[in-house]
This record gives sequence, structure tokens and C-alpha cells, in this order.
Amino acid sequence: MSDQQTPIGEEELHAYVDGTLSDERRAEVERALEQNPELAARISDYFSLNNMFHERYDRVLNEPVPKRLQAPAPRRWRIAANWPQFAGMAAALVLGVGIGVGTHMGRDVVAPVVGRADTRTVSADGSEVFARQAALAHVVYMPAVDRPADMTADHEQDFVQWLSNRLGTNVHPPMLSKSGFNLSGGRLLPGADGPTAQFMYRGPNGERVTLCISRRQVNSNTTAFKLYQDGPVNVFYWVDGDFGYAVSGGIDRQALLQLSHDVYSQLTGAAPG
Amino acid sequence: MDVRDELMEHVPRLRRYARALINNRDLADDLVQDTLERALGRTGMFQQGTDLRAWLFTIMHNVFANQARKASARAVHVAVDDESVHESEFAVPSDQIRSLEMRDLDYALQRLPMEQREVVLLVGLEEMSYADVALALNIPIGTVMSRLSRGRERLRALMAGTQPGARLQVVR
Repeated sequence: MSDQQTPIGEEELHAYVDGTLSDERRAEVERALEQNPELAARISDYFSLNNMFHERYDRVLNEPVPKRLQAPAPRRWRIAANWPQFAGMAAALVLGVGIGVGTHMGRDVVAPVVGRADTRTVSADGSEVFARQAALAHVVYMPAVDRPADMTADHEQDFVQWLSNRLGTNVHPPMLSKSGFNLSGGRLLPGADGPTAQFMYRGPNGERVTLCISRRQVNSNTTAFKLYQDGPVNVFYWVDGDFGYAVSGGIDRQALLQLSHDVYSQLTGAAPG
Repeated sequence: MDVRDELMEHVPRLRRYARALINNRDLADDLVQDTLERALGRTGMFQQGTDLRAWLFTIMHNVFANQARKASARAVHVAVDDESVHESEFAVPSDQIRSLEMRDLDYALQRLPMEQREVVLLVGLEEMSYADVALALNIPIGTVMSRLSRGRERLRALMAGTQPGARLQVVR
């Protein structure tokens, strides 16, 4: 198993595509790919197939749900606004998030859960709901920005302008390229109290990570990172003053934690306790 | 949150998956509807705290497998969605099919055995982990991996057959 020359099995190639290999095994596969163009082409095709699925079928997500598929009392979480996709923006933007916007995303789904305006600490009340919604948003929306569109500097400018207008203040996504994650898109998600910003990142092997930022109703002290898990999706979330942050992804917990630290330090300039 | 409400959040994704699986809007929505009806009738059987999505996909899989069994027994022809592909396009020689682009994907998917199609889509489109797929389809994880491996490779070959040249590229 630890033998460096262990031949790479067919199924491992797929595990590589799906990002489930261990780091060392992944590195070995990558070395093999470098030496074998034919194999590399095949792997590239596998990645492409996954992209094509999204390209072809993600549009269904945006179709109105026919009546017959609606519940007796439907309360669904709808896409209020699709951000234009903004590729290559990461390089142009630097941190400094300050969103003058609403709070819990998808609050219409979770209706009456959100904490009242008493001076409660950030307990299981709102922030876990937020984490849960972030996880949901991750799985629901992430695939839709699988393939960033080309975007010129002009478009970026327009996009930032548009976003600023929507939120009433400047929002800049943090850069995670140091860890190999590049910004691939962003969205505004609806909520009863206003939009939540969601940023999507893609890693070197197509891993997807999303960052959600929302304004909280109750101002709280900074909390430590908390982990929320929903199926394959891990979410690290924390609260810092007026804002709640959630970093979601189906990747290794340690790697996700590292990214969360990255986000945190870029947004606030320090590491949490 | 009520399981019913939560269930409805999954509808768009169930529809997306069903569409890829069946490639006919009405039949795909029929499958979603059957799945929802069955799920709504059994909300009591859903264990709070477990993965609702996996549960729904399990139900959908069972409904789908049932229908497929019945359909093949009656030899019913499943029509390809008129909106997406005209019947005549199937008669086009393969070298002219190039222009069909994404439609080829529908076609190629339909030519995968159902077991492989499900796994390829659950992993590739739904981005479920192998373990979750195993759970949803009630098969061992090794079977998931071998179906994935065979299905994906077959799909690649099918796409390559209808799309000569380097149509498949990594899209970044």
C-alpha cells in the first residue's frame, strides 16, 4: 500500500476524478498522469463529462417547479437573483467584507427558528441554522457555477458595481489561491431579511468550496469555529460581530479548516481562539 | 423544520437528476412525482437526523427500478423528449451528429445500462460520495466503484464516437 510503485487501478483513477484519494495517492496519480499523456487525456475526459452533466442539466434547477410537484403548502427556497458569473475576479479583488445586508439566508425556509433580539449568546439558535443553510446552499447552488464564464475587466467592474448596489456596501471575496482555491463565482441568496452573499471557489482538483456571509440580527462576540456536518458536506462557521460566516465543502476537514482560517484572517486580520 | 417542507427543497435536484436519467421531461417529472408521493406517505419512516437526500434518492431509485422492470416487461418504448431531440436526428450518420453537441450526451447516457447510468449521474451530477451512493442504491461500495468505472468509460467512448476530434476538454 505504501509502496510508491503501487500500480494505479482503474477505480483509483475515478476516485482521483472524484477527489476521494488520499493526498499521497493523489500525488502519485498526478505523477503518473504527467508521464502518460494518453492516461491524462482520459482523465481529462472524465472531468469533462462531469462538467457536461452540469452544463446540460443544471438548467433544470432553475425551471419553475410544475404544480403537480409542489407540496400542499409549499415553502420553497427560491433563487431570487443569479449573479452573473464572474471568473478570474479573484486576482482583481482583495478582501474587506462589509455587507450592509440581511441576515439568515433562506429564512423563509426555516421560518420561525431565528433567535429573537434578546442578548443571547450564539448558541444553537441562529448560527447553526445558518450553518445548515450554508450546507444546503453549497449543495444546491455550487454545481451551477461549475464552469465560470469568461469575463473581461469591464464585466468585473460591472459586476462589482452591481453587487455593491444590491448590498449597499462593498463586498470583496477573500482570495484563497494560496491554498489552490480560485474564485469561480458568486451569488446572492434570498432571505426574508435580505440577501446573503455566497462565493464559490474551486480547488486544483475540482473540489468545490463555498463561503457564505450574512448579517446577523443579534450582534455577538466572536465565536470559535464550529463544525457542522450535513451528509458529505462539512461546514465551519463562526460569528464575528454583526456577521456570520460559513465555509462549506465536501473536502477533508483539516483542509477545510485551513481554508476557514485563511478566510478568517483575511476578513478580520487575526486568527480566532 | 417539517420533513415535508424539507422534502420540497430537494425537488429541483430530484428533477435535475430524473431528467438526466430519463431524458424526457414528462416521464422524468412523473418519476419525481411518484417519488414525492411515496416519500410523503412515509415521512413517518424517515429518521430525523439522517440524510434526507439519501433517503429520497433511495426511494427514487426503487420507483425507477420498478418502472424499468415493468416497462421492459411490457416492452414499452420510452420516447426521447421531443423538445430536446428530433426523432430524425437519430437517423443522421454519425459523422454529422457532431453538431448535436450536448444532445449527444442525452443520447449517450440513454445507452448506458440503467445501473451504470444511475451511479455515473449520482457521482458526477449529484456529487454524492461513493458511500452515499452505496447507501442510496443499497449496493456495496465496491459495486458503486466498478459501475462507475465501467459506466464512465463507456460514456466516454460513446461521446468520443459521436464527437470525433477533441470535443472533450477540461473546462476551467
